Amino acid sequence: MIGARTLRREDPRLLTGRGSYLADHDVPGLCHIALWRSPVAHARIRSIDTAAAAALPGVVAVLTQADLDAAGARPMTHLLPIPGVQPLAWGVLAQEVVRFVGEPLVAVVAASRAIAEDAVDVLVVDYDELPPVVDVHAALEFGAPLLYPEWGTNEFLHLDYATDGLDDALARAPHVRTERFESHRIAALPLEGHGAQASFDPATGTLTVLASQQQPHQLRTVIAEVCSLSEGEVRVIAPDMGGGFGNKQHFTREECLVALLARITGRPVRWSQDRGEGLTASIHSRPQVHDATFGYDDDGRVLALSVRVVSDLGNPVLYFSGVGPSLVTVGALCGGYAIEHHGWSLSCVATTTCPVGGYRGFGQPQSHLTTERVMDLVAADLGIDPAEVRRRNLLPDAPRPFIAHGGARIDVGPLGPQLDQLLDSFQYDAWRERQRAMRDAGRYVGIGLSTLVQGTAPTQYGVAGRGGSYETAIVSVLPDGNVTVAVGSKSQGQSHETVLAQIAAEMLGTTVDRVVVRDGDTALLPNGMGTWGSRTAVMAGGAVRVAAGRVRDKMTAIAAHMGGAPTLEAVAAEAWWHAHRLPAGIEPGLSATVCYTPGRTIPIPDAAGHTSFDETFGSHMTAVAVEVCPATGDVSVLDALLVSDCGVVINPMVVEGQHQGGFAQGLGAVLYEEVRYSDDGQPQCTTLADYTIPTAIEVPRLRVVHRETHSGTEGGFRGVGEAAITAAPAALAGAVADALAPLGVTITSTRLHAHHLRALLRAAGVEPDPAAFAIA
Amino acid sequence: MKPAPFEYVRATQLGDALAALASDDDAKVIAGGQSLVPLMALRLARPALLVDVNDLPLDTVEVANNEVRLGSLVRHVRLERDAVVVRAAPLLAEAAALIGYPAIRNRGTLGGSVAHADPAAELPAALVALDGVVLAEGREGTRRISARDFFEGFLTTVLAPDELVVGVQVPVAAERHGASFREWAPRAGDFAVAGVAVVIELDAGGVCVSLGAAACGVGSTPVDLHEVLTDAGVLGASDVGDSLLRSTAQAAARTARGDDDREQLVGLLTAAALHDAFARARGGDASGTGVAA
Repeated sequence: MIGARTLRREDPRLLTGRGSYLADHDVPGLCHIALWRSPVAHARIRSIDTAAAAALPGVVAVLTQADLDAAGARPMTHLLPIPGVQPLAWGVLAQEVVRFVGEPLVAVVAASRAIAEDAVDVLVVDYDELPPVVDVHAALEFGAPLLYPEWGTNEFLHLDYATDGLDDALARAPHVRTERFESHRIAALPLEGHGAQASFDPATGTLTVLASQQQPHQLRTVIAEVCSLSEGEVRVIAPDMGGGFGNKQHFTREECLVALLARITGRPVRWSQDRGEGLTASIHSRPQVHDATFGYDDDGRVLALSVRVVSDLGNPVLYFSGVGPSLVTVGALCGGYAIEHHGWSLSCVATTTCPVGGYRGFGQPQSHLTTERVMDLVAADLGIDPAEVRRRNLLPDAPRPFIAHGGARIDVGPLGPQLDQLLDSFQYDAWRERQRAMRDAGRYVGIGLSTLVQGTAPTQYGVAGRGGSYETAIVSVLPDGNVTVAVGSKSQGQSHETVLAQIAAEMLGTTVDRVVVRDGDTALLPNGMGTWGSRTAVMAGGAVRVAAGRVRDKMTAIAAHMGGAPTLEAVAAEAWWHAHRLPAGIEPGLSATVCYTPGRTIPIPDAAGHTSFDETFGSHMTAVAVEVCPATGDVSVLDALLVSDCGVVINPMVVEGQHQGGFAQGLGAVLYEEVRYSDDGQPQCTTLADYTIPTAIEVPRLRVVHRETHSGTEGGFRGVGEAAITAAPAALAGAVADALAPLGVTITSTRLHAHHLRALLRAAGVEPDPAAFAIA
Repeated sequence: MKPAPFEYVRATQLGDALAALASDDDAKVIAGGQSLVPLMALRLARPALLVDVNDLPLDTVEVANNEVRLGSLVRHVRLERDAVVVRAAPLLAEAAALIGYPAIRNRGTLGGSVAHADPAAELPAALVALDGVVLAEGREGTRRISARDFFEGFLTTVLAPDELVVGVQVPVAAERHGASFREWAPRAGDFAVAGVAVVIELDAGGVCVSLGAAACGVGSTPVDLHEVLTDAGVLGASDVGDSLLRSTAQAAARTARGDDDREQLVGLLTAAALHDAFARARGGDASGTGVAA
């Protein structure tokens, strides 16, 4: 069962159009919400005239934050347990000042979304424009316009870290170099946008909220707070989800707004994000600039790495905002390398752009880009093969856990053998030969490497102030011997109905088709933490395994008491129907509720000042070969291979799907996607014609090779979902840099889009020959 | 992303369609809807009245008097695949295949693309290269407008508000005809950042005796490259060697003046399309890389 390529049990439903997503939940009398969103980057609101909008037939209500305040709405906050963070609370709607194009100011509830949009059209909002703050470095300059004048700066958070002796180590290093690496802004863009629908039952005082949300239980807590209800009065249901990718782990203003409006209007209401809102007024991700100073010796050993990270938060009115990913970035800058001296500074900066937040990878693609580019530059500078430079810097095979800077307990398997396996499986030496031959023929081929060591199943405490590190599961064997599993994790497409059933079936000695997995409903379980951070296999998988084990132990005791070799069905019937025959001290029924934690994190600094945020680590090594057309800048992936170690593999097909999907997103980020703003803060990507994501045509196959180093968590699992999306940008940047090095082009950012490469090539004086292009 | 309110009428007679168009200053024709509907959903277009012409008998392909006459309701997918179009107007077939995705090509129409006049669109540039004629029907009768005169600016044409494009007309491809449409877009199916159409005709001795060319994505209308290629010496040439490809590319690139990236692309694409067109006109490809149309 564990390790089998069990076909996805959710596929017959999802692939035949029988999934039930947020907008598939029409109810009688359902009203729809549209929002007046700021058309300018920064403005002070003078007046709002809602009369014409409210008078349109079909309009139920037009509300501003003042109306929500009058109805008792409470503000939202970050819950960041970090000293020095600037004070910030915000309303569900903006009030007085808007600070990005798309910030919601007025909500319309109407009989249809079209009518609601008609009403938004006739709202009259009078405002005085304020100066925009778009560029993150300009935002830090003295005299820059301030988003929140009370801070006296646009810097929302500043943190520093350095090992003792960092400066000396850099001063003593035989070679020192400083380079800038930039990760550009992108959008996660789940196929199904964000959305929520709520109805309030005055008879029971219960608010039911459907939300396309990765953490339904924690959304329950936030909505209860904003609406002044108790958690028992709020039920959150997350139906089938068309992707989440970390974007839907944030608790958004709109979700809280829907809950408030259901209470205020007494009508069932829905807000279903459209693509324009999704691209401009939802959640962006990744924008960071790293200035890395690194010292290394003649053998290519990196002795010291110091990185200044400037992280653009947009307007940080988003639960944990871009700060969460930024904290992960600075914790992961050394990656899987043993670098003796290390330091970083982190500036998290507010700008008048869309809030920045989580996206699969959560700060790691940025750190990994820097780490891997450093290795490549050291290799290029010294004339040593980049694979060899990596080998010389990888974490030693012992001890385990390896205690990283800051205290992270890295528990991966031996990395040298994994690198050997990568080079062997990819036929690295043969690719280097081919690269030379193709270069001689005027073709620009490059090879990129990534040796990712990645924390998985993190505690939420350091980022969000509460939540910790656990997951809840209820495993029940029903009277007829069939099994139900309820979990607090929430599938957004990750195959949980399959893999959690595999775990339960294996533990209970039954078959997968007799197990039903349910998630996404706060009525199923008292609490849960949802799905994010590559945590579900480790945390929910662990919880299911422990719970199923308890049920199995009880069944074993009952079976022994029954005598003979009773079937599972017979034991189940005995447990539920024949309580009088059970052994002494055994309760009737076959159900176990488990709140599982591996207990391996250190969320609050210990006596040594250490923190460790991840329950376990995965190691994933990737090689890609690309060809770059120097005339058009087109990048073609010739081969891509990933050697994956996520501990015990529950279902290899699912792991391969995770890697393929992550690779598609990582490749899309660097070759096709970019969120752009004009200098005055106008978003330049408002439709999918401007924000170009790769289609099936553009996404090459990623070959996956499995290794299994058991983790010390229940079942031996490690997280896997964020590996390839983290590896791909770094590996592709390395490959493109390698391909174009003979032409004098240097790659310092994730902008590997054809038009950016053409500009870099032109800047390097490369003039393509039209005749050669025509004949090629 | 819901359109503003509008009225809708579905015409079954050409006269009804023209009357409906004349009845409202803010009337718009809808055929395939592949450009108009997204603009309406974004509320960038707010027609008061939509005149649906899908029921008019304009899905026609006819060859007569050495001309191909195509009705305005011919869908891109038909341009792409219709055996008559592929043989008689291979440039249109190639251009149509570059438009969007199959779902878009199944709905989008020739007349819609021409009337919409998106400067990045393939079919307007192909029509200019072919020196085609746009047939516009108004209440005073039919106007025959040269494609070279039809496009006025970004999304604007010489079409009167109460006129309807009913078809286009292009010359039938001669025996030693070579056509090529090359473009660069970030992804397959995207709007081209730049595209170049070249069509030539060789005489029995292999000398180029006729040519047309146009670029899309470069200006506010399709850019006619006929003169540029003629001046570069393509007309009268019997071969396109490296130096002619380079000089023609350089001359064509200048039409994208002020935009380094488009200059580069137009140059490259002109050379590529010219090379392809010669190879195809010869009925094969001397270098072995071309595809016979």
